[in-house]
Amino acid sequence: MSGVTLERVTKTFSQVHALDDVSLEIVSGELVALLGPSGCGKTTLLRSVAGLEEPTSGRILIGGRDVTGVPTRERPIGMVFQSYALFPNLTVRQNISFPLEVRHRPPAEIRERVAELLEIVRLGPQADRYPHQISGGQAQRCALGRALAPSPEVLLLDEPLSALDALVRTRLRDEIRRIQQLVKTTAIYVTHDQSEAMAIADRVAVMNHGRVEQVAAPPALYEEPATEFAATFVGSRNALELPIADGRIGLGAAFSIAAPAASRERAIAFFRPEDVQVAVGSMGHPAVVEMKIFLGPTTRLHLATAVGDRTARLHADMPSRAAAHLEEGSVVAVRVDPQHVRAFPVDA
Amino acid sequence: MSAAAPAVAAPNRRAGAGGTARRAAEAALFLGLGLYFAVPMIAVLLYSLATRWTAEVLPEAYTLTWWQSTLADPEILAAFQTTLVLATLTAAVDVALVVPAAYWARVRNPRIRPLVETSAAIPFALPYLVIGFALLQFSGIVAPGLQGTFPLVVLGHCAIAFPFVYWAVDGSMAAAGIERLSEAGETCGAPPWQIIRRIVFPNITPGIVSGSLLAFATSFGEFALTQMVGRGIYTIPIWSASAIRSYSGESGDFNRLAVVTMISFFVLFVLSAIVVYFNRGQAARLLPGAATVDKREQP
Repeated sequence: MSGVTLERVTKTFSQVHALDDVSLEIVSGELVALLGPSGCGKTTLLRSVAGLEEPTSGRILIGGRDVTGVPTRERPIGMVFQSYALFPNLTVRQNISFPLEVRHRPPAEIRERVAELLEIVRLGPQADRYPHQISGGQAQRCALGRALAPSPEVLLLDEPLSALDALVRTRLRDEIRRIQQLVKTTAIYVTHDQSEAMAIADRVAVMNHGRVEQVAAPPALYEEPATEFAATFVGSRNALELPIADGRIGLGAAFSIAAPAASRERAIAFFRPEDVQVAVGSMGHPAVVEMKIFLGPTTRLHLATAVGDRTARLHADMPSRAAAHLEEGSVVAVRVDPQHVRAFPVDA
Repeated sequence: MSAAAPAVAAPNRRAGAGGTARRAAEAALFLGLGLYFAVPMIAVLLYSLATRWTAEVLPEAYTLTWWQSTLADPEILAAFQTTLVLATLTAAVDVALVVPAAYWARVRNPRIRPLVETSAAIPFALPYLVIGFALLQFSGIVAPGLQGTFPLVVLGHCAIAFPFVYWAVDGSMAAAGIERLSEAGETCGAPPWQIIRRIVFPNITPGIVSGSLLAFATSFGEFALTQMVGRGIYTIPIWSASAIRSYSGESGDFNRLAVVTMISFFVLFVLSAIVVYFNRGQAARLLPGAATVDKREQP
């Protein structure tokens, strides 16, 4: 078994909590994405598992063994860095064999293992090139091969796709997933890109201010964000601050739901642009189309609507063909299925 | 005096009259710069070969006498030997001290970086005489036996030359991203000495080589500090200074000085050329993933 357990891990950099009492259980063979904005502690968490940072308090276990305080080189890990961090003086083949050589494996075994990895990361033809002679995507696949060479129990990936252009990014993302499932290693994947996290991970841990706010499978996270931060960070959402009347909040005829228990006067309602139904002249809350943005299959409408005596703005996504007849300036009626609206108390 | 000819920007490809004027201006600038460097050296070379050179634009006649007598002078040869040994030791000691310190300040303990950088700026800010005086005072307290000896001169030269090594080595560590490479080495399971030997050293050799050259050149040309700290340590700059001081009007003194200057120039020029040759293309090598994507390949 080679899961990773974090027990109440705290890391303080000069009085700032980079990690604030984080506990997380990652089971063997699972890929967990750490998702959050920059400065949320996701990279610090990853580096703590690698031993590149020492937690101020708490314990880290890999495969049931307490590795807190164990030097990086003695941990059963492999790591892929955002900036590749390939050794410029070594060829692709030498980069991949480096971790095996420093472990003094027999030469025959090294040759065999390196050939196997070159196959897995598909760098056979580039094996004898130097890092500056290959593309960014190839460099990152080489880094992946190097990280996997000693068959680590845990693979750590620190924003591995951030330095690559969009096309290469999605292809390599799927490639990383394929290889991770092929070699059946446990993996922790740090990213600030929510679609990348949802596409690649078994579970996503949303982090904010050094804390893990929610850990869930991508569909559950998308549909049922547990916190306001998770709701705003994952996917694009409308956020409307609404007054509470008779224990309910609502937007005219668009929707009405029970107010969250903890709130007294106002609450924030979150709902996705794709859950806003837009029609002309039928039942619903009136709104004015301020802008129309064609996105291919869908069109995004920027709508202005009255909330009490204020004007609120919200986004609605609809199939482009259905949006074709709408003009900027036309008045529409919006409705939202109440079961797609989530409400959170307004912070005091 | 030691630098090789400066590199000039690649020709601008903008077409038209503006481009031509620009190219002409560039050529004029390059030529002017070339003359600025070359004319004094040519003058010294001619002087080292001249029988008499007083009234005319060019010497009256040429001879190899000065070269022969200079190269046969045991005093000058000994001074050359002392200077070369001193410069080599200075470069070697500085590299041995600075590389670990720069690595430590970058990778292990970034908090000491401001301290290291400040101390690497001090020799630029203080006159060498002040440094020499401080060295005499300090050695007088801790090791009076060292005063006037060759090791103390080496120490003094190391003190004024180490900033050149530090900035060159630190710059190449920054260019190579040595912190990240060290971390990558650790995650690969490599012990520290393997990281230093197999990853750090091979990727900062350009900095070590050019830093050593700068330290070597600094020591090679240093006069004031050697004069002050070393008792009877006879180097080429000291020989040159005494040759100027003791000029008797007798023909040959300055011609032999010209010969010595030419030899010094040649030594440093050859070393610079070696460094340039050795470091060519090193910068490009430090950019992994720099190759353009081959469209036929997978990412």
